Amino acid sequence: MLEIDGIAASYGNIQALRGVTLSVEEGGITCLLGPNGAGKTTLMMTIAGILKPRRGTISFLDRNITGMRPSGVVRRGIALVPENRLVFPHMNVHENLIAGAYLRLGKSKAQVRQDVDHVFARFPRLQERTKQLAGTLSGGEQQMLAVARALMARPRLLMMDEPSLGLAPLVVEEIFRIIRDLHADGTTIFLVEQNAHMALQVAHHFYLLEQGQVSFSGKPGQLSEHEVIQRAYLGKQQGRDQSATDRDQPDGTMLRSG
Amino acid sequence: MVDFVQNCLDGIMLGSSYALLAIGFTLIFGVMRRLNLSYGPSIMVGAFVGTLVYLEFKANALAIAAATVVGAVIVGIYVERLCFRAIRRGAAVASMVSSFVIWMQLEEIVTVVFPDRTYPFPPLVSAAPVELGPFFFKVENLVMFACAAAMTVWLHWLLQYTRFGLALRAVSENPRAALFMGINVGAVMFLAFVIASAFGGVAAYLIVSADGQITPLFGLWATFKGLIAMMLGGMGSIPGAILGGLLLGVVEAQSIWYLGTEYRDLSAYFLLFLFLVFRPGGLMGQLAVEREQAAMRRV
Repeated sequence: MLEIDGIAASYGNIQALRGVTLSVEEGGITCLLGPNGAGKTTLMMTIAGILKPRRGTISFLDRNITGMRPSGVVRRGIALVPENRLVFPHMNVHENLIAGAYLRLGKSKAQVRQDVDHVFARFPRLQERTKQLAGTLSGGEQQMLAVARALMARPRLLMMDEPSLGLAPLVVEEIFRIIRDLHADGTTIFLVEQNAHMALQVAHHFYLLEQGQVSFSGKPGQLSEHEVIQRAYLGKQQGRDQSATDRDQPDGTMLRSG
Repeated sequence: MVDFVQNCLDGIMLGSSYALLAIGFTLIFGVMRRLNLSYGPSIMVGAFVGTLVYLEFKANALAIAAATVVGAVIVGIYVERLCFRAIRRGAAVASMVSSFVIWMQLEEIVTVVFPDRTYPFPPLVSAAPVELGPFFFKVENLVMFACAAAMTVWLHWLLQYTRFGLALRAVSENPRAALFMGINVGAVMFLAFVIASAFGGVAAYLIVSADGQITPLFGLWATFKGLIAMMLGGMGSIPGAILGGLLLGVVEAQSIWYLGTEYRDLSAYFLLFLFLVFRPGGLMGQLAVEREQAAMRRV
């Protein structure tokens, strides 16, 4: 569904992608794991059209979307649940949802209204708080709102950037239950996570991103959870010392395709 | 007592023009999180365009008003392209400093093109004051108040009930998130600038036509009044801009009456000083600051 081929991009000075190739299968849950600074968020931003890649191509449903504007990407059917949720804090829950359907507002108001009802049916807790300002919601509720807002764009592919970040374990469980439910209803999901333990439970396929490159690609179970977790947090199976020396050789040969 | 109430009424009328200036400032600040110092000078240029149309063509009031607004908007666009769009990724202070440079440039251009400095500006209406019980109302002040009220209501409608308003609020809250929704952030910022400039143009026309004359110093004056009114109300808050403008007008009117004309600006600065010491967030800004802190604690 989504094919990423040899993408190189940079965001600020550190989080660079150096030729990332991966694909997201329609109807599945694909996970991207990796340590901080590996470039996971950079990849999301590049797909979403915020960053222009220096090299490589991105295609979605066999159409090339490389370098497309963010609005074009949303129109093609890719919605992003951003890192740190980024809800609009002084707008109420309902307004946040409407903003998610921004590109469709001119055309079909009735359809948008219907979609709000759908989303509320899925997230009853948001319905109870329709008129509440998003900034006053709890972290978990804000995450739900961010997911609901992305769904308002009627995405064919839902990208989620660290949905468990900063949430209590019980809330994380709930967020992953939502991810499973969304998948069961036919949404394709591309999930970026630090929480490897939770991500491996839902993933059909996963990639490890280390220092801007895909270092592993496979199904959960092909790599022991212990190793995944170590590499997802520390960036290297040997641990910290090794990655410290690797930093001196930015183009270290770490690629091990799975 | 009658004097006091009369001063309040005068102050509210005067303050409604400050409110328009402050709305322009706060709209730009709210959307860009950057200060546009050349806001006053750019609407001053608009007023000079109005004067030019008046002197050259002996145009009627409506044409002069239109010329003033169009002039202000065009100069506003020039400022937006140069000081904001071109360095959108740079530091916010770069925008402020370059807007100050453009301020100087605009003043110089106007002094070169209009060497006499002070030019006549035709009044919108010339009618006797309206008497209502013990109170007097100048007709031009009533017009000023009515225009300001109508434009504020229109802006409220625009922000709360239209698709563009939703986009504008989204951009002012979080431009990154707005991009993810597919909102064209650059276009929204541009249009916010145009609206702010148009508001400034109307304010400039109303103020200058009530004064009957225009000088290049109007730019400095408008930036001061707009900035003070915005800071009294709370930066980035539109209700705050209105309240701040009205408060500034009332305080000025009272001090003119009780202390003398020379205390008008002094009392305005004193009021600002008090606010900066005791309520730095402004009338409405404080609320926003507190709400933000509450929200941050929950995250």
